[in-house]
Amino acid sequence: MIAQNIAFGILAASSVLAAIRMVTTKNVVHAALYLVVVLGSVAANYILLAAEFVAVVQLLVYIGAIVVLFLFGVMLTRAKLGHEGELDNDQRGLAAVTALLILGILGYVLVDYFGDDKLPQLNRTHEQLNATRGTGAVGNAIFSTYLIPFEVVSVLLLAALVGAIVLARRD
Amino acid sequence: MSDFLQAYLTVAVFGGTAGLLIAGVLGLGRLIRPSRPNPDKLTTYESGVDPVGSGFSQSQVRYYIFALLFVLFDVEAVFIFPWAVGLETYSYFGLVEMGIFVFILVLGLVYAWRKGVLRWV
Amino acid sequence: MTAALLFAQVEKVATPKLDWAATAPLLILCGAALLLLLISSLTTSRPARGTYAVITVLASAFAIGTAGVLWARVTDAERGAFTTAAGALTVDGFSVFFIVVISLGIALSALLADDYLRRENLDGPELYVLMLLSGAGGIVMAMANDLIVVFLGLETLSIALYVMAGFNRRRAESRESAMKYFVLGAFSSAFLLYGIAFIYGATGSTNLGDIAGFLNANTLEHTGLLLGGFALLLVGFGFKASAVPFHVWTPDVYQGAPTPVTAFMASASKAAAFAALLRVFVSTFAEYRLDWQPLIWGIAVLTLVVGSVLAIVQTDVKRMMAYSSISHAGFILVGVQAATAQGVSAALFYVLSYTFMIVGTFGVATLVSGKGDEHHGLEAYRGLSRRRPGLALTFTVFLLAQAGVPLTSGFLAKFYVIGAAVDAHSYALALIAMLSSVVSAFLYLRIVVAMYMTDEEGAEPGPRVRVPLGAGVALGLAVAFTVVVGILPQQVVHWADRAIPVVLASGR
Repeated sequence: MIAQNIAFGILAASSVLAAIRMVTTKNVVHAALYLVVVLGSVAANYILLAAEFVAVVQLLVYIGAIVVLFLFGVMLTRAKLGHEGELDNDQRGLAAVTALLILGILGYVLVDYFGDDKLPQLNRTHEQLNATRGTGAVGNAIFSTYLIPFEVVSVLLLAALVGAIVLARRD
Repeated sequence: MSDFLQAYLTVAVFGGTAGLLIAGVLGLGRLIRPSRPNPDKLTTYESGVDPVGSGFSQSQVRYYIFALLFVLFDVEAVFIFPWAVGLETYSYFGLVEMGIFVFILVLGLVYAWRKGVLRWV
Repeated sequence: MTAALLFAQVEKVATPKLDWAATAPLLILCGAALLLLLISSLTTSRPARGTYAVITVLASAFAIGTAGVLWARVTDAERGAFTTAAGALTVDGFSVFFIVVISLGIALSALLADDYLRRENLDGPELYVLMLLSGAGGIVMAMANDLIVVFLGLETLSIALYVMAGFNRRRAESRESAMKYFVLGAFSSAFLLYGIAFIYGATGSTNLGDIAGFLNANTLEHTGLLLGGFALLLVGFGFKASAVPFHVWTPDVYQGAPTPVTAFMASASKAAAFAALLRVFVSTFAEYRLDWQPLIWGIAVLTLVVGSVLAIVQTDVKRMMAYSSISHAGFILVGVQAATAQGVSAALFYVLSYTFMIVGTFGVATLVSGKGDEHHGLEAYRGLSRRRPGLALTFTVFLLAQAGVPLTSGFLAKFYVIGAAVDAHSYALALIAMLSSVVSAFLYLRIVVAMYMTDEEGAEPGPRVRVPLGAGVALGLAVAFTVVVGILPQQVVHWADRAIPVVLASGR
């Protein structure tokens, strides 16, 4: 349990620091790269929870595709990149207050409910964990309880695809 | 420590060792090599054509649709992995359901192709 | 290796039973969307005028037809409501009611879109495909028996809507509205998702039936997580329903989006948001009614007041209607706040009547705006009674219905929600609702006055207004419903009364 806590501490610290740097940096590309660190730490946290499949999906989709999309977007819209002053505006103080308020409320709620509940021990064998949290378990859920959501996802992706075509097509 | 995390500890140790190795070798090189700074050494191609402008430049808008399509099919792939793991378990039922899932998106792709979105003009 | 050998495995997962009749409306709408894509990709020549719109309308009509069959089944005392697909979807009167409302929204908006797209030179199947998929998402939301399904339905609804808002790419306002809607919408989805996580944390399930069962059987020692979940879910649903303070996007998006899309947004999308709100809060969280009712009370008051007051100061008719749609959301929230069967039934009646009223209103706006979708100022309506007396009369009916004048469905809708609030002892809320309806009556009368009373001598004649067939049919249907139900509401009230959502525990 101790190793798990130490690992969590390191991951949590790195993701919080990277998240703070992400919103304070003046360079949009650096912000996207800090986002990679945040998302990577989250993926590692999933592994600490023995959710290997989710961790891999996090790497594959978020870091592999979404951040790439961000960088593309940045590179398409800005002719000149580098240090930019106008990334900030005068709403900064208000945004900080709102963020802290939400952090306070959500943090309070979580502490109030879970208190010092311990995380479930992971001292089962790899096979046992796989049976409940592995890729196979995810597949079982998809093809039984979550069959309708699964098919709705394909409709959702189709809507996004048609949307992308509409927006990208030249007149 | 649990059996499960032990496996990942190996990964972490490997990663750490790799980082240390690189840092060690580079650090050692820094210690023993002579240091004579020169602005020419900082250019991208030291003995080639002088680079013009910044390394960050605006890219072509037509890449974007491919990046978008990549995200969509990446998400689709995510759903195919759990199916592949339990291919036998889900039998024909899984095959049909996955077939519907893929068919819907293939239809979208065919549409994109027919509308010339995939053409590189 | 043959497939049979490949699958010759003994161990099987419990595959869920899918009730085909229950999912037929969804399958029809999605199937029609796929059909449109297929037709458009396989044919090289342009199909006959209006083919896409006709397919869309037919698909919605079929969906309504299958919903009728389902209605007979779920209102049958012996068979009743049931869940299908492993407890993911509920089929009850409530689902069927919203299948009808959303399908109507699709059909009427598609009729408006038909001529609009040709006029703006945007003809193609995409808008219809997106509309059908978006509507299917809305129906999924209404039928959902699981918070994850609610979320997926909402996302399908929204993603298609974001693109639809920016469909007229040549207009900067359209692009701007899509961008605003997308950024804020993505933000609100994140809140909703966080709320779902909280509810899961507090109750150990995302299935609405299991959540309701858990909340009935257990008393929570620490309710913080659950209440936090309520608040976050309300942000997500409130955004889609454009309730104050989550309404900021509404005026800009309603104004900027192509007008038939605005009609769809105000009808189908709003209906879906209220469907989810009613099923999740009124039915599932019934046990904690006293905790969330004050929240809805506050939101309802703000929505009523802000919507009606800010509507008055607008000069753009589309923007006025955006604010008035906010105030209508407030009225529906009055029904939700009552949290009684009567309140739900009143809210349902309101949603159905509002669908017709608002599609009609934006339908007239589509026609009056002329080519370019630009003439939405009050001056475009000056003297409409002389240029197009029929259209002016139609518009007057919709405006009076929205104002809540007797003999229209709008009056009864307001009457029922306020009645439900009074019966639930929310007297203050009922009073505020009545006052705000008086305030907003001024707004509707202002437009009516502009159409009839303004002396056109010397003034520039407005653009010529043409009434194409599709839009004419849509407006005719909407007027017929508004007036007939305004006079003879019994049948619709009867339907709304039998469409109270039920929450069923997940059963295989």
